Amino acid sequence: MTEPPRQLKLGGFFSVPGNHLAGWRHPDAVPAYDMDFNLYAHITQVAEAAKFDTIFFQDTVGVAGSRALARGERTRAKLSRTVKLEPTATLAALAMVTSRIGLVATATTTYNEPYNIARRFASIDHISGGRAGWNLVTSQIEDEAENFGFDEHLAHADRYERAAEFYEVVTGLWDSWEEGGLPRDKQSGIYMDRDKVHFLDHVGKHFKVKGPLNITRSPQGWPVVAQAGSSEAGRELAARTADVVFTAQTKIDEAKAFYADIKARAARYGRMPDDIKIMPGLTPVLGSTMEEARENYDHLQSLMPDDVALQSLSHISGGLDLSTFPLDGPLPELPPSNAAKARQALVVRTAREGNMTLRQIARHTAAGTGHRVLVGTPQFMADEMEAWLKEEAADGFNVVCNHYPRPFEDFCRLVVPELQQRGIFRTEYEGTTLRQHLGLRVPENRHTLARQQKIREAS
Amino acid sequence: MTTARRQLRFGAFFSVPGCHPTGWRHPDAICETDLDFRHLADMARMAERGKLDCMFFQDSVAIPGSTAVYGGQPFRVKNGRQAHIEPMSAIAALAAITSRIGLVSTCTTSYNEPYNVARRFLTIDHISGGRAGWNLVTSQAEDEAVNFGRDQHFEHGVRYDRADEFHDVVVGLWDSWENDAFLRDKASGIWFDFDKMHILRHKGKHFTVRGPLNVARSPQGRPVVAQAGSSDIGMELAARTADLVFTAQTTIKEGQTFCNDMRSRMAKYGRGPEEIRIFPGIMPIVGRTESEAQEKYEELRSLVDDNVGIAGVARLAGGVDIFNLDPDGPLPELKPSNAARARQEMIIAMGKRGMTIRQIGRVLAMSQAHRVLYGTPTSLADNMQEWLEAGACDGFNLLFPHYPKPLEEWVTMVIPELQRRGIFRTEYEGKTFRENLGVPFPPNIHTANRTSVQVKGIQAEAGASDD
Repeated sequence: MTEPPRQLKLGGFFSVPGNHLAGWRHPDAVPAYDMDFNLYAHITQVAEAAKFDTIFFQDTVGVAGSRALARGERTRAKLSRTVKLEPTATLAALAMVTSRIGLVATATTTYNEPYNIARRFASIDHISGGRAGWNLVTSQIEDEAENFGFDEHLAHADRYERAAEFYEVVTGLWDSWEEGGLPRDKQSGIYMDRDKVHFLDHVGKHFKVKGPLNITRSPQGWPVVAQAGSSEAGRELAARTADVVFTAQTKIDEAKAFYADIKARAARYGRMPDDIKIMPGLTPVLGSTMEEARENYDHLQSLMPDDVALQSLSHISGGLDLSTFPLDGPLPELPPSNAAKARQALVVRTAREGNMTLRQIARHTAAGTGHRVLVGTPQFMADEMEAWLKEEAADGFNVVCNHYPRPFEDFCRLVVPELQQRGIFRTEYEGTTLRQHLGLRVPENRHTLARQQKIREAS
Repeated sequence: MTTARRQLRFGAFFSVPGCHPTGWRHPDAICETDLDFRHLADMARMAERGKLDCMFFQDSVAIPGSTAVYGGQPFRVKNGRQAHIEPMSAIAALAAITSRIGLVSTCTTSYNEPYNVARRFLTIDHISGGRAGWNLVTSQAEDEAVNFGRDQHFEHGVRYDRADEFHDVVVGLWDSWENDAFLRDKASGIWFDFDKMHILRHKGKHFTVRGPLNVARSPQGRPVVAQAGSSDIGMELAARTADLVFTAQTTIKEGQTFCNDMRSRMAKYGRGPEEIRIFPGIMPIVGRTESEAQEKYEELRSLVDDNVGIAGVARLAGGVDIFNLDPDGPLPELKPSNAARARQEMIIAMGKRGMTIRQIGRVLAMSQAHRVLYGTPTSLADNMQEWLEAGACDGFNLLFPHYPKPLEEWVTMVIPELQRRGIFRTEYEGKTFRENLGVPFPPNIHTANRTSVQVKGIQAEAGASDD
């Protein structure tokens, strides 16, 4: 018997109303996707029908470009990703209209308290029957800081130090309750078994948290933890702690190097390669022929005004006002960014290697916000995905669309069957929890382990 | 034509697995209501079938009494209130499976940031089509403080000062966008009307928040704001800001005094008396006959745990060591409590009426000191009608001793009696929570006066400036 081929993991990364900055202007686009829950429910159900592992919402705690808005930059009134539903509340609601698909959302460690985040994701895990995931990020956009009483962000290193401690507190709180902590014995009147509920007593540099958490361990043990940092500090944290890594990779060689690097780092923390799933973003532009797909892409690009395209570089420009540079000249030298370091490096490299003008790199970035844009037929797309899977450039993909719902529906209708036919994507869910879909272990409760250890030592 | 009769309104208080701290031991009680969400979903549908105004979830950001469990109060493990689903996540989920009922969650101003709270409630408001409510509280328990890096919780005055400013920031953020700000015009490429965006630029004592919020304005103008503070400072905040007040009066006279006091405070904030709804709590126990109701009441009373009650007294004692006193002796002079101040006044009054520590404790340990109302649907309806017509309430917050049966009994036995009397709706009046409560759709604070708006310290201008 031969071993079944390695399976792709698929995430529906819903960047509403569209990841392409002008995608919402497409005739098929439904622009109200940003605020209408019924539309969120629709695409989630489409993803579930296609057996996606999970859906995923990114997040920022502010309107991107609010500083510019406050300065009166009216061009920003052309940008569509302005408002949306807060993702963690949205996950809770989506849990009620789905039954299998994973539900992952970003929540920042920079402007939250670990106790609140631990209980919220544990709650969503309970509500959904074990389908929740937390994408742990540090806030990167200067616009966010001023909504929380800070003039500027914490420096990159401090942010990651806080994130690492935040993670320790959250996972510690998730272990507050052992199995059997609530006997609810009507006879004796004992509701809670106090030997099975544990204080955390965390005292660290950034947090002091007593515990215990006021919710029991969730159906997955811990909700799935995802991460997206590609910088040195981000990789190190991900290698140690993440179950899933979301990343922006546009070239197979670079993706393979990233993949190998994360898995090698994970091994140094005693983790197996399969304990961590690497899922680069992918933006599909489909056509029934390659030519038609390219036409579709050109049409989309034609909808984007230059001033909007330029905005896509604002958060990686290191504070430089790019509108003062000639659009047909080269991308100027950028001051170092305290925000998205890895993303800035990627954009600069892409521009230099492709010998692109400022206009070209702006339009390129606006089209995919750094993610790989795949233009072609369903077969072409499946070829590419299969190649990345086989060559260990990815364990799966996070599919992010230019607008909604049509391109996502088309991907599910045309590309997913192609992947299934090749035997590299499921035709039915294997289990009921996100960990089961992803093939991840349920983490043991540290207190139960310690108890078992003690018993072993005593015997 | 006759004028419509004044209508009763109801909130169903969801303190799972029971508002009676040891009521979970009742044979009918389903204790898994605390963590198995399918039960909450079923109860939400039941409450909506009964046309109740809202479901209301209390909250604390700790296991209540967690430090006490290990600090010489082992009986605290008898209390059913230990672990539960975070209520904002719960109401977001319930929004997806209900269509008319209001969904209120408690959220503390002490251990949150206003930007995060503003956007979560506004999001739930959008998900539910305008049915969200925020019960604004300040955190009172040491158990909560130690989960947020503090050894002690904030002092009463500071807590309210922060809550006051927190509220204003949240409302200012909720109004970041006018209702018709989003054009989404494909032809022109214009996404929003720049002049209908309002940047808060709040700089206060506790918070500095620029805005705008990244959520569009609410379908009901703003989520409903509820409050439960009955201390002087709490009432003042409610008079200025609340749409809905949860309170705990036990006699008609007290109810009238509270309602009159609240409404007279509102005038100076330019608010009319109908802009607020006041719901005292009751713990209802329904029987088909008076004797059946009496029996059910006695059964629930027999489940009260004296020690849980005495611990309840201790929590309100302002540091006086209640455990070392004779439980059958009088309540001593109490130091001002930094916790629930109005609650403390309540037990002091009980002490003055000659109740012992144990007796006071038993009241707390049955209904959290709310009025226990038992009887047939007819006698309960008589009583509530009397309160309503005396102007002692606008409705009631229902504290069910356990779940789900008492809720079911309320919906199937008591509601029809009230409907027959014409003092409770037979169908929801509107789609949003505000419409059903009969409180107004608030104007956007940034446009109420187009040039410059002052809402107690908050200044905002239309669009941007050149600062």
